[in-house]
Amino acid sequence: MAQDRDRVDRFLPLKPFVLDVLLELAEEKRHGWSLIRAIQQRDAGDRILPANFYRTLRALREDGLIEEAKNDSNGEGGERRQYFSLTPLGAKVARAEVRRLEALVVDPRARKLLRAR
Amino acid sequence: MRASRSLYRLLLRLCPADLRHEFGAEMEEMFAAALSRAHGAAKVGVWLRAIVDVLRHGIGARRDAWDRFSKTSAYVEYRTGGWWMDTLRYDLRHALRAMSRQRATSAIIILTLALAIGANTAVFSAVHTVLIRPLPFTQPDSLVMLWEKREAEGNFKNSVSAADYLDWARMATSFTAMAAHTEVTADLTGEGEPEKLPAAAVSSPFFDVFGVRPSRGRVFQSGDDTIGRNRVVILTHGLWQQRFGGDPAAVGKTTTLNGIPYQIIGVLPQSAVFPYSDVQMFVPLVLSAPDQPPSRTSHNFAVFARLKSGVSFEQARSEMDRIGKDLERTYPTLSRGHGATATKLTEEVTGPVERTLIVLMAAVAFILLIACINVTNLLLAKAAGRRREMAVRAAIGAARMRLFRQVLVECGVMALGGGAAGLILAVWAVSVLAAQLPAVARPDQGVIFSAPVLAFTIGACLFTALIAGALPAWHLVREDPAEPLKEGGRSPVSLKRRLRFGLIIAEVALTSLLLVGAGLTLRSFQSVLSQPAGIETNNRLTFRLGLPGARYQGPESAARFYSELEARLSAEPLITAAGGTMLPPLTGMDGRRGVVIENREVGPGDGPTRAHPRVVTANYLKAIGARIRDGRAFLPSDAETSVMVAIVNETMAKRYWPGQSPLGKRVRFTDQEAWREVVGVIGDVKHWGLDAAVNPELYVPNSQFPTFALTWVLSTNGDPLALVPIAQRHVRELDSNLPLFQVRIMEEVAAQSVERRKWTMMLLAVFAVLAMVMAAAGIYGVMSHLVALRTPEIGVRLTLGAKPIAVMRQVLGEGAVQTVVGLVIGLGASLVLMGGLRSILFGIEPTDPMTLLAVAASLLAVALIAVLVPAVKAMRVDPVTALRQ
Repeated sequence: MAQDRDRVDRFLPLKPFVLDVLLELAEEKRHGWSLIRAIQQRDAGDRILPANFYRTLRALREDGLIEEAKNDSNGEGGERRQYFSLTPLGAKVARAEVRRLEALVVDPRARKLLRAR
Repeated sequence: MRASRSLYRLLLRLCPADLRHEFGAEMEEMFAAALSRAHGAAKVGVWLRAIVDVLRHGIGARRDAWDRFSKTSAYVEYRTGGWWMDTLRYDLRHALRAMSRQRATSAIIILTLALAIGANTAVFSAVHTVLIRPLPFTQPDSLVMLWEKREAEGNFKNSVSAADYLDWARMATSFTAMAAHTEVTADLTGEGEPEKLPAAAVSSPFFDVFGVRPSRGRVFQSGDDTIGRNRVVILTHGLWQQRFGGDPAAVGKTTTLNGIPYQIIGVLPQSAVFPYSDVQMFVPLVLSAPDQPPSRTSHNFAVFARLKSGVSFEQARSEMDRIGKDLERTYPTLSRGHGATATKLTEEVTGPVERTLIVLMAAVAFILLIACINVTNLLLAKAAGRRREMAVRAAIGAARMRLFRQVLVECGVMALGGGAAGLILAVWAVSVLAAQLPAVARPDQGVIFSAPVLAFTIGACLFTALIAGALPAWHLVREDPAEPLKEGGRSPVSLKRRLRFGLIIAEVALTSLLLVGAGLTLRSFQSVLSQPAGIETNNRLTFRLGLPGARYQGPESAARFYSELEARLSAEPLITAAGGTMLPPLTGMDGRRGVVIENREVGPGDGPTRAHPRVVTANYLKAIGARIRDGRAFLPSDAETSVMVAIVNETMAKRYWPGQSPLGKRVRFTDQEAWREVVGVIGDVKHWGLDAAVNPELYVPNSQFPTFALTWVLSTNGDPLALVPIAQRHVRELDSNLPLFQVRIMEEVAAQSVERRKWTMMLLAVFAVLAMVMAAAGIYGVMSHLVALRTPEIGVRLTLGAKPIAVMRQVLGEGAVQTVVGLVIGLGASLVLMGGLRSILFGIEPTDPMTLLAVAASLLAVALIAVLVPAVKAMRVDPVTALRQ
């Protein structure tokens, strides 16, 4: 079971939005709000909806891709928000997904498509 | 914004609890932020996205935990669900596509359902708050109220006298505790502004009855209600917080009530609530004194009791019945005709509005049915256009069940859409309802939205989908796929025609029921309003004054104060008349005493002789506009020392001096020695409300029966509110520490007395109009669709020489026949069903022919207008175009 839980390809392919979350957390630990803000800043205008977002966050935590982190750094006004950080498994999954996308993009057929533009 | 937030919180209840607890607040923040960024119509977009988001992911999150053990995960992009979910998803997508293809029809269906489901949700939330939710007392079902019962007078719930209460408490074995309760007001002084506060005087077992323990100090114990030990007070949590700053040391301190020092012995918990009272404090009820035995003649108390466990309500009631009979034998003069009985507290509290709410619930249920019929009609029309599609799909192998389900899913999506819109409508309607709902005795008032209400709404949606969708779905599916393919999918099916006429008939029948209900309450309201009140209500100001006994030693000083005030106010040029009364009319404030009529034989079958005393000042009858029928009004010369006088109302004159003039006759109160000479007869004044019966009333002048608290009435020729400062000035000049309270204009008092009737009537009228519009739309829809289907046939007939007017007449006739059949069924049913309205009607029979006639005429007119459009269309069919089709 444990073995199965840690199998990376079990999680692939990731939804772009999930990858976004993992990439942000790879940078630094964040709480829900700041994650949303960060993702929105990068993919301008993309709408993130509350239930979807927190459901995903919870699922990621239950599957061991992210974990709760202690808030020791400059917490905004000492609020009691839940911070999250990436687990080693989460990092592995994110890396695997990025590699998968990379492989897709460096595919000669994709190159050809891009040139044709 | 606050309403939006609470609505969103309600929506979040669809999420699993753990997700909601952990992230609910943040989700709410996120939604609020999005909503505050949006303006105007964009807000609707935010709402719609939020609803879809929660429906999809909030509910979806419930399955995540389970899924984790299977091989898929919640956020992997491609997932394969079970076949059932898969096809459901397909059906959903199909339904959305089908809806977007026929936007107008879908919009009409959703709007219809939104109105119907919204009305149902709103009324149900009132029903749930008032009737279904348990009362906020410990074991509310074992609480009862005890009453004096006077069968001969038709009065089954009379207030209780002190002596009776004490006897009952001694004799009854069915109860763990029994307590007497009466409302009083208290001037609280010392520490801060003086305040006049509502209080209750209760006998010591009161808190045992309601199972309330003090949060600090103690509650009353036996002995607190004896003279000398009764200067103790218990504060409610609210008063303790507001007046004493929640100071724990307040218990044990002394405060001043009505000028007398009282010791604070306890504070009640915040959760403690009691029926019929928003009182701020409790004082002991003293029922007897060494020189004054408990009275058996003045009936002032409400009595509450709690059933022993194992004792049924019926047992307790029969025990009270027995005790009543025993006491009647023991006190043959004072207690003659007085029985005793019990009622359930739950019924006392919710009873007055129960029938009204049930009637309203029935009305909105009818509306939902009418809406279902309309939706069925629209779907049938739609289905006619889709026969070919369905036939093709069945021919290439689609399972019947799948096709059936697909139609139902489509209907369900629209019902949920309508339900969501209806919910928003209901939230608004509830806020209106809550403000309008006439006061109920429930202490935890206020109509609220709650989980059961949400469940009801969802239930209503599913019910609607099933009822409205089943027929069209079945219709589409049962057909032989070969038929529509052969015909090109156009010609109508005769069975469908009959069916749709049946739907029109049902719709008309339901609508006529609603119209009759609304019509009857409207007529009943009119008849209430046309009742003479016996007084004038326009251009009159009223306010109440209470003289604190501590500062006004003896009744004579109170009488002096009031006659001085009356003289001063009467001298004001703006005031045409000014006077005070102990018990103002139309408010339900009342009391009753035994009286003795001189030289009147009392037969053994007669009930006790009693009258409702009305202590008034000399000019009161003029100020309130009462009509003198005979004799004279009171005069300032009817002083303490002159001949004792009284005025009776017409009802009293007829009852106790039948066939003769009461002028010059003498009457006295049972517990007073002095005889009073009747000097006048006045027209009956409605005391309990315009629709209430009038009791014998005995008016006595304040100078000869001094009272400390009087309600004043000032009449003027202009704006009554302009009199407020004048009254305030005179009262202040006489006593600078006396507040005016319950300052209102008399018209407002009168309006309040018919509030509940007005409210019921307005709601039923709104529902009836809604039903009528829906019915008209339904009839129009069916008839125009049938005309459209028959266009080729009409074309042929016109070509063969039929007159256009004949074609029109035929369509019109068909519509009229269905309407008349529906009306006959509906009005017939109303003769049976409207009996249920009897208790909320006044001065009108549930079978009132005028109402039935008016309903029939108006509904027929509306139906004919609805049929006229398609009929004219049929007449104008161009034969050439029609034949080419």
